[in-house]
Amino acid sequence: MHAKKLSPLLAVVMGLALAVTLFPVFWIVMTAIKPPTDWNASPAIWIPSEPTHINFLTLFDPEAIGAYGVGGVSQSATKAVWGSVRASIIATALSVSIGLLSAIGITRYGNGSKIAPLVILSGRMFPPAAIAVPFVIIFSNVGLTDSYVGLIAIYAAATLPFSTWMLKSFVEDLPREVEEAAMIDGRSRLMAHLTVTIPLIRGGIFATTLFIFILNWSEFMFSLVLSYTNISTIPVQLARYVTATAGTLYGVQAALAVLAMVPLMLMGYLIQSHLARGMTFGAIKQ
Amino acid sequence: MSKPKLELVALRKDYADGSVPAVDGIDLAVQPGETLALLGPSGCGKSTTLNMIVGLESPTSGDIQIDGRSILGVPAGKRNVGMVFQDYAVFTSMTVRKNLAFGLEIRKMPKAEIDRAVHEVAELLGMADRLDARARDLGGSELQRVAIGRTLATRPALLLLDEPLSNLEYAARLAMRRELRRLQQEIGLTIIYVTHDQIEALSLADRIAVMRAGKILQVEQTTTIYDTPDHVFVASFLGSPPMNLLRGNLEAHGQGMLFRIGQFRLQLPPPRPGMAMPRGVTLGVRPESLQVVPAEAAPLVGQVLLAEPRGPEVVLTVESAAVQLKAIAPSHGRPEEGSLVGLAVDPASLVFFSNDTSHRMELC
Repeated sequence: MHAKKLSPLLAVVMGLALAVTLFPVFWIVMTAIKPPTDWNASPAIWIPSEPTHINFLTLFDPEAIGAYGVGGVSQSATKAVWGSVRASIIATALSVSIGLLSAIGITRYGNGSKIAPLVILSGRMFPPAAIAVPFVIIFSNVGLTDSYVGLIAIYAAATLPFSTWMLKSFVEDLPREVEEAAMIDGRSRLMAHLTVTIPLIRGGIFATTLFIFILNWSEFMFSLVLSYTNISTIPVQLARYVTATAGTLYGVQAALAVLAMVPLMLMGYLIQSHLARGMTFGAIKQ
Repeated sequence: MSKPKLELVALRKDYADGSVPAVDGIDLAVQPGETLALLGPSGCGKSTTLNMIVGLESPTSGDIQIDGRSILGVPAGKRNVGMVFQDYAVFTSMTVRKNLAFGLEIRKMPKAEIDRAVHEVAELLGMADRLDARARDLGGSELQRVAIGRTLATRPALLLLDEPLSNLEYAARLAMRRELRRLQQEIGLTIIYVTHDQIEALSLADRIAVMRAGKILQVEQTTTIYDTPDHVFVASFLGSPPMNLLRGNLEAHGQGMLFRIGQFRLQLPPPRPGMAMPRGVTLGVRPESLQVVPAEAAPLVGQVLLAEPRGPEVVLTVESAAVQLKAIAPSHGRPEEGSLVGLAVDPASLVFFSNDTSHRMELC
């Protein structure tokens, strides 16, 4: 395939769209390397004259920002970063593997009824805020508040509808005959799914994994209401950079946000070839 | 005759919703080395029958025997029955080589033997140079060849083909049809071939079984089923255009009988000795058995409503006394639409069906 030449109008429209999309990214990266005096200077400073890494240092050494006479940061972001990494990875793995099982189950062994998939989806029909409080009450009764087990459980549960529905569409697109052919060739049902179904929808599994990871990585509501002292996540930590003495520490927030973007960009880059296949899935040749 | 390779005994399949059985008591024997075509409209139970033979579905009642032994308790992978699907069912995540070796690896065959078998099959299908291609890069007829090859590699006792050519383009379909014919002759496989394409059935099969609504209406040698369909449905299903079927009445007339539908009349010879003349009868005549002759002395005269050219020949729709008939005439010197033509027919080529049972009767 070779790139088509863009028409000038399309180029302008795409340029505008890109500018709108990428401007916040540009701004946050710039803010992350601004010294405190430049954070909310007026008129705005677009590109700092003296870039600094003090904001990044402050993330892991809260006293560092004191060099600029700014105080009040009490907590290192280390715990939040590891908390996010741990909770997101495990919860994503859980969500996608359970989602894969239910997707195959619904598509291949269901009775065609729409009820089960709709019930699964109904978990997403309430705003998180509406179910956060009941979850806090239930979790405190069973001792799961302020613990990663609890956080992972709720992340996996909250994203399961998405992983089930996304994967379901990929399994549906896969002709049932390929699995039957594997069984006729002597594979058991389970082995047919492991050696044929899953490799064939690999692109879809990667796409789903990335999507679910992004959801978990940026989740705020549940981690806010479930974390006290033991656990933390990046979005919760971001909210903590609001101090009594120095106001909001925009530069430090920006530094953490930049850090939080890295794994997503990395994942996206690594699996981009699969993503394209995953998104244009009809590509199973008929 | 030797013991049948495959025997279906009163095979029946009901589905949970219980309305009509998908397969309604089928008895069928397939001889070793024979190719049998299961022909019928969609939803007639052909594919369900195949699925039961291969073990993807289990029958409600009845038995399936291979070489005289029931295989009902044997799981799909162990029946030694191969199946090729309409939409290829090739594992596109693997190379051609992996696909061909798939069934053999499961059987824990030594690697050297697998290699040999894979090469043999690839050679047979003319794909030896494509072994390391990724299956997802193949085109339709190549995919279908891989699917057939993967099945052949396991050396099945019985090969089931479920509309294997219907997803292919016309040219590829013809080529694959020739290829299948060659494979049949080279390997001597026993094949059951499901299709709704009667030309395919006529050109590939030794015998044809016509199914409708879960029942087999007729199983007959390919060469004779076309000329002597046992049932009105078989007559209407085989042939393109299909047999003209005229439902009318008979009355005695002179030495013979007169067939009438309103003003439409056709003089027939007398019934065979011992045959009583029925009142109502459906008369069947193949379009190619109707000869276009000058209108003056013809037993049937009609107006050409439509002349559809088909290359060397033309299909005429002729209306005679409010009855429409299809006839095939050579393109050369064909009659114009709207003109009057005569039609002659050899009484020996006529078939008769009872209006009560829809079955054929040897009337004259």
